[in-house]
Amino acid sequence: MALLKPFSKLPSLHASSILLVENEELFQQSLANALVAEAGVTVNVRLAKNLPLPLENEDKRPRIDLVVFVMNLTSELSFQSTEASLKYLDPGFFLGKVCFMVTNARNATVPSGRLDSVRKLAASLQCPLLFAEDQSPDGVANAAERLLTILKVSAGFVPTITALYLSNLTRCTVPPDIDQLSFE
Amino acid sequence: MEQKENRQSGERTPCSVALVQRRSKSYRQSYRSCLGATSRLFTPGHATRRLNSSRRAPRPRDIKEQLDPGVLSLLTRTEWQLSYVTPLFQFRHTRLKSYARQLSAFMAAERQQGVAVEVQGEEHTYRGRFSLLPGLVEGEGEAEAVLIQLWSRPAFSRADAAEKPVWSGWFSCVRGGDDYLRSLPPDFVGLPLFCSSGAESLTATVKAWFSRHFDCSFGALPLDQDTLQWVAALWANCHLEADLRHLTLLWEIPVSPPLKVSYAVEPLDAWTLWSGVRRAPSAVEEGVIGVGEVEEFVQELKRHFHRHFRLQLSAGNLTQVSSGLGAAKSSGRVKISSSRYLVSTLSLLTECALLKMPI
Repeated sequence: MALLKPFSKLPSLHASSILLVENEELFQQSLANALVAEAGVTVNVRLAKNLPLPLENEDKRPRIDLVVFVMNLTSELSFQSTEASLKYLDPGFFLGKVCFMVTNARNATVPSGRLDSVRKLAASLQCPLLFAEDQSPDGVANAAERLLTILKVSAGFVPTITALYLSNLTRCTVPPDIDQLSFE
Repeated sequence: MEQKENRQSGERTPCSVALVQRRSKSYRQSYRSCLGATSRLFTPGHATRRLNSSRRAPRPRDIKEQLDPGVLSLLTRTEWQLSYVTPLFQFRHTRLKSYARQLSAFMAAERQQGVAVEVQGEEHTYRGRFSLLPGLVEGEGEAEAVLIQLWSRPAFSRADAAEKPVWSGWFSCVRGGDDYLRSLPPDFVGLPLFCSSGAESLTATVKAWFSRHFDCSFGALPLDQDTLQWVAALWANCHLEADLRHLTLLWEIPVSPPLKVSYAVEPLDAWTLWSGVRRAPSAVEEGVIGVGEVEEFVQELKRHFHRHFRLQLSAGNLTQVSSGLGAAKSSGRVKISSSRYLVSTLSLLTECALLKMPI
């Protein structure tokens, strides 16, 4: 199986790599532009529609420090393709090198069950869940800033914190009454 | 109301929960519970509520003997626009005649004030008529449904010509949840579902009168995807007892230009698929349908479509479900063509109305 492994390659000096996986391939473009514009550390942004990644690039690909799954809540296909892609990640990634980002969470047409299933998924994998607003440049800049914070820790640029420690603090939790029904 | 308040206060004061736990547990565990509580802070009240995950299979109910045939044909032949209503204060089922008089007076006053009631506005006088709709309840404490009609003489007619109804609307509450109804304060009547058909301006005027008189507020009730999936599954379940001429699902895929996919399923095929899904070992018990079976049913339909047309319907939104038993649109317009399944469809819609209400 073409698993993506976190520690099979050597890290590059003063550079970090982030992989944005999104089925619609819309938000990742603007997010990538915002991430690359960051001064101070070299960020390599790689974009993908879903995993597994093509085998031809296996040698030239740098070590991926953070995998971000971007989901659009208005489309059920987004969630299903993310679930299918998760199987192609080595378990070592889930120690703080995976993050979920959700757009369009405030949309009124989204059935409430979908956000619940995303939260349950993120909580079961113990990964952080971020909400982003992709329509305005402020929202994109905000989301990029938050991703950069996590990326700097995953790539090892922050001296006293590891990715596993940060994920323990930022992981998604579900409230205990998430399955409670309102009516009998 | 107390139960809902408790739940809301539980959501609005998570800090006290975290404080109590910090004293008893270690630092790391209390931090985690604080995070869990803060995640609840950002969930608005209505987002934590969701439709029932299982419900009884609909049984046909014959309400023909209880309702006037003219009224019954009105209920089953019109397409209704749904809205939710907060509980009505001091609404008495015995004072319907006086309410009708007050409504007619209000309509006349609005017209005199210059509020545009009718565009090709002739001298229309509207007479309101309230009537009871017996038999549209399922539980013990539920209020009887009330039908309101506005009658008016058509334009350019003689003074003694017959009046015709130009606008109809009705309130109902079917299986609204016993503890919710019991928790309402004593003077309030819970009739959460409001269906209207007719000119928009008349609807707005009637809603204004109700909100002024009974201190209630109305709101739009769009039907989201889960509800429409439930409607499709419940109708497929009725195949043995009712004539389901077809089951058509309409999807809208957000590409440019937008693509509308109309997926019509033969009733026998829909029934075969539904009984296959029900026969799977995960079926809970007889007569109860679970949400997993509904989702499995719609997923199978989508997979079949993908196998033939290579188009993922999950990328779009389900906007309309129609069959021989009626039609339901995501904008909130429903038509229930079968009088026998009127009550069971209404129970699903009442639940949606109660969920959407901003308490």
